[in-house]
Amino acid sequence: MKRTNGTPSRVYVIGFYVLLFAVWQSLYSSGAIQEFLLPSPFQVAQSLWDIGQRGLLWPAIKATMVRMVIGFSVAAMIGLVIGLLMGMSRIVNSCLKSLFLGLQTLPTAAWVPVSLLIFGLKDAGIYFVIVMSAMPAVAIATSDGILQIPPMYIRAAKTLGTSPIAMPLTVILPAALPSIVTGIKLGWTLGWHGAVSAELIKSTVGLGYLLSYGRELNDAAQVIGIMMVTIMVGLLLDRFVFGLIQKRIRRRWGLEAGD
Amino acid sequence: MSESTANIPDTLKGGHQTGEKPVILEAKEASKTYENASQKIAALQPINLQVREGEFVVFFGPSGCGKSTLLNLIAGFETPTTGEIALEGKPILKPGPDRLMLFQEHALFPWLNVMDNVIYGLKRHRKYRFKRKLRRQRARDLLKMVHLEEFEKASIHELSGGMKQRVALARALAPDPKVLLVDEPFPALDALVRAKLYAELQEILVSTHKTILSVTHDPHEAACLGDRVLVFTGRPGKIKTEIQVDLPRPRDINDPKVAEFAVRIMAELETEKKP
Repeated sequence: MKRTNGTPSRVYVIGFYVLLFAVWQSLYSSGAIQEFLLPSPFQVAQSLWDIGQRGLLWPAIKATMVRMVIGFSVAAMIGLVIGLLMGMSRIVNSCLKSLFLGLQTLPTAAWVPVSLLIFGLKDAGIYFVIVMSAMPAVAIATSDGILQIPPMYIRAAKTLGTSPIAMPLTVILPAALPSIVTGIKLGWTLGWHGAVSAELIKSTVGLGYLLSYGRELNDAAQVIGIMMVTIMVGLLLDRFVFGLIQKRIRRRWGLEAGD
Repeated sequence: MSESTANIPDTLKGGHQTGEKPVILEAKEASKTYENASQKIAALQPINLQVREGEFVVFFGPSGCGKSTLLNLIAGFETPTTGEIALEGKPILKPGPDRLMLFQEHALFPWLNVMDNVIYGLKRHRKYRFKRKLRRQRARDLLKMVHLEEFEKASIHELSGGMKQRVALARALAPDPKVLLVDEPFPALDALVRAKLYAELQEILVSTHKTILSVTHDPHEAACLGDRVLVFTGRPGKIKTEIQVDLPRPRDINDPKVAEFAVRIMAELETEKKP
């Protein structure tokens, strides 16, 4: 993992963000954009600090995360089962593949109106949006992963006496795991989009709610601040939870050169 | 062939030299034809073959000569188009732990560690299914046999190519198959590692009297390992001739006598090319 250019590239990344904030600050200072549209970085930080002080920020992050953990677990389970069926039956695969690819191209926010129609303002609607946003990605990645399993694993398993019933859990799912993890990573991101979109409209707590609340107050600093928090939480999870798991699995499965 | 084998201990003799050993595997007029929409491709012409218990038979030939097809038929991955192949009198219909294969690419399961890979087949074996301790003991013995006892907890990706093939060998031998099938498992390895694996494979052959069928396109490998070398020619694949290798074991791949047989084996192919 140690790349020789690791340190210089990190310096560039830090430099890039410093530059980004400098541009932002100078745009603000020059007065080219009106203050109620573009607050300064310091005003955004101040606004986030205030929301935190009022005890609104942490509960919002927690609420969105709890919804994600529950909703995404359900989505991943359904996606895994459907993906397994798709991977093991050509007929199921040809029927569902186009449908799920289609669903995946649908912007996650497009599920919000349907969920309002079905669930009204109930919290169940947010879970519905998360599941519908995340599930197709997991199902597609699982079935793709299964269809790409090297035949020698299946052959080896058969000669070693694996029964058809034991095959999915002992060989097929583990062998497809690198692809499944990629699908889970993508599914989580899409579910995260869906969760925040749904919270914009139908919640009284959560990051999405704080965004729409900020808009109602015409508080650009709060809107931008919450956007940044949403990005940051998403990025942290993507990099340090799913990214690390993915990297470890890919290396163990011999798909990536080790260190 | 030569009569110089009289002074070799019985245990080191190849299976064919003790003529009374029973036939374990028999192919009768077995052939394989692949068919697609536009054409039929005969991969293997009807062949007859008898393998005696404890014999090491090598299928040698260029690519596309049907040697791997025959091995796959014996493994049960495919079924013959005509004729049949029987193990101890019972026709082979599907893969099973009585015919384990050492694959070209080791085919070890990366989600299991070394020990669990070896145990995998034992968990599904009627003799070991409910005996956890016995399974571990047997896996440990086998890892010791291939000199990897210190690596039982290692992940597969941490091992070198030669070590992976040795784990694969231990995994294949664990459920005590009647026949070990070897599908060119060595070409990817460097010469030193290969020579060592040849020595180990022969050592195991001598100590377990396993019946082994192996596929190769390397005449030196064929001469070094086989009691009997079946020379295949293509297309369609058929057995052209059969050469007995009457050399004492263990054989060294660099031994001039082995090289002599390699030349003879190769010559069979050369004569085929000239009309």
